[in-house]
Amino acid sequence: MELRSAGAVGAGRLVRLGLQSVLHRGASQLPGRVALAIDPQLIAHLREKAARGSIVVCGTNGKTTTTNVLAASIEAAGMVVICNHEGANMEAGVASALLQGDDADWAVLEADELSTIHILPQLQPSYLVLLNLFRDQLDRSGEIDHVQDTIVEALAASPQTVLLACGDDPLCMGVAARARAAGTKVLAFGIGEDLGLAPDRVPEARFCQQCGAELEYRYRSYAQLGDFFCPSCGFDRPALDFEATSVKVDHSGVSFEFEQAGQSVIERIHADFGGVYMVYNLLAAAAAAALAGVDTEDFQAALDGYRPLNGRLQHFTVAGREVILNLAKNPTGLNQNISLMLADERPRAAFIIINDDYNDGRDISWIWDVDFERLAGENGAMRVIAGGHRGNDVQVRLKYAGISARVAHDVSEALEQLDDVAPEFPLYVLTNYSALLPTKTELEEMGSGDE
Amino acid sequence: MSEQRTLRIVHLYPELLNLYGDSGNILVLRKRLEWRGIWCEVEEVHVDDRPSLAQADIVFIGGGSDREQKVVCDRLQTMRDELVSFVEDGGVLAAVCGGYQLLGHSYVMGDEEVPGLSLVDLYTDRGSPRLIGNIAVQSRISPQPVVGYENHGGRTHLGTGVEPMGKVLYGFGNDDTSGYEGCLYKNVVGTYVHGPLLPKNPGVADHLIACALDRRYGTRELEPLDDAVELAANQTMLDRLLLHGAKER
Repeated sequence: MELRSAGAVGAGRLVRLGLQSVLHRGASQLPGRVALAIDPQLIAHLREKAARGSIVVCGTNGKTTTTNVLAASIEAAGMVVICNHEGANMEAGVASALLQGDDADWAVLEADELSTIHILPQLQPSYLVLLNLFRDQLDRSGEIDHVQDTIVEALAASPQTVLLACGDDPLCMGVAARARAAGTKVLAFGIGEDLGLAPDRVPEARFCQQCGAELEYRYRSYAQLGDFFCPSCGFDRPALDFEATSVKVDHSGVSFEFEQAGQSVIERIHADFGGVYMVYNLLAAAAAAALAGVDTEDFQAALDGYRPLNGRLQHFTVAGREVILNLAKNPTGLNQNISLMLADERPRAAFIIINDDYNDGRDISWIWDVDFERLAGENGAMRVIAGGHRGNDVQVRLKYAGISARVAHDVSEALEQLDDVAPEFPLYVLTNYSALLPTKTELEEMGSGDE
Repeated sequence: MSEQRTLRIVHLYPELLNLYGDSGNILVLRKRLEWRGIWCEVEEVHVDDRPSLAQADIVFIGGGSDREQKVVCDRLQTMRDELVSFVEDGGVLAAVCGGYQLLGHSYVMGDEEVPGLSLVDLYTDRGSPRLIGNIAVQSRISPQPVVGYENHGGRTHLGTGVEPMGKVLYGFGNDDTSGYEGCLYKNVVGTYVHGPLLPKNPGVADHLIACALDRRYGTRELEPLDDAVELAANQTMLDRLLLHGAKER
């Protein structure tokens, strides 16, 4: 290691020690930031800490869960893993994780889509997992075209990286087509059957990535994901290298057969959480795990022991009432959560918290692209409470969806508003990014967690 | 018992121009008509349609990405004469963001100057940086300041005699220097304010409805609605921007 790098590593360690021992604060970003300031090539200098290689996970929705499940499964197979579990997914977060990790077999690293351009050229990972691309934070990220360009450019600067991408997402396949043309090897995962679900209201990417004609679908799983094809130019959902079939999704969880192209053994994977989007996350994690040498048995074992503690579908009990906390930070995320709530046959209430801090995106006009109308079902509207810095805007949105909602400032106030609703009925708390941690902390202080 | 009144809304290219929750604008118009017992028909115009504006009362154009805006501009050029007649006849046209730029003589995409529809005497060139953030505008078409969000690289310049929608209280507006935002011409409202525009600004929604009713039925009279929720959202943002004076960046 060069002297400069060694100095950077030392500085990073000092910062981490300082943060943890003196300030008792998490050290997910700052050590990396300090060390990167000293050595901008730090990630390149640390990449050999992971002897077998590294896997980067990106995509608009599902990064943190996929990364954590994948890391846990590689550990379940007896290997050592470096991982940015806490979801610090910019360059500094990745550098911090590499700094803090011991020598390992694999590094499994979540990356923000736009940060791939800073991470991939340095890290030269074995695999880049691309989960999905949805409209998200237009004021920060710009339009999806820009996100796609960035990922293509990042892959071009890391020519050995294999792209493992969602074959059902035309936007991911748009990236894949361009990357393949530049020499990148591409593997695709997807759902190999019609789940018979109603399409979401505002699908992205109605038009072909290659020629601009309107795409058609043999079937659609959710949003723009499905068995798509272009009637005019042949831009088509590819043959799937990793496929989920016999998919079951209900409010108790998901299960599916995991099939690898060219292998006769088909194994069932199941989890007691999530909806359709979780099938994709788990399929991506299972595929990446298989590529890292994890067998399906170890993968399932990791899944059995996986209890999200990061506010993603995390369960709490407060004064006898089940409270389910989940992140929902863009239209597709919220639409998927609405599907999840509607699949729960019990009467249920929802508390929807929308902030507009920098990390959330300050422009929240996307809440008008969410299908809240589905909550105003035929048997009377579901009880919905609005919250967050933009709780008043959520209340207006709900009013025009036919739902009369009140505003609450926090979960305890929302629960007070439910005192006429029997405690056996659950409350779903859906928050966008910056509200997640404070809400999770409030719930942890109020009630008991799942495990 | 008075006759059943109906207003027809034409939503141009919703699948292309939907960047900033623009479907919310249509929803707000529809609900505010329904709540007053006025029938509302919404015609969505798609890429390959040949729409007619003969029966239209309110035409809406939203905002899209550059690429989508160009596709729309090409289509709209083929119906320019009809749009001109509609506007000159007092038809109500609301255009937001990219749709606002299309109203003028030209706008800039990349390095290319693209001819617009020349419905209103204005043009748009490009500046740096992009103008992004919350915005509040004092306008004669709304009893409350118009609040929302703007996000545009273009700088829009109004011809002499074209009235702006209003005066910028917070944010950037048309060009970051004139202090004005949007345009008003006959019954055309063009603006960079999205968020979307109408939900938190019921005064603007009712202005559009009143103008359309006047043209079709000869009355601007509107049954008042309970707008407490809408106005609370408007006031909350206004307080944040003006009272607390916090520059957000």
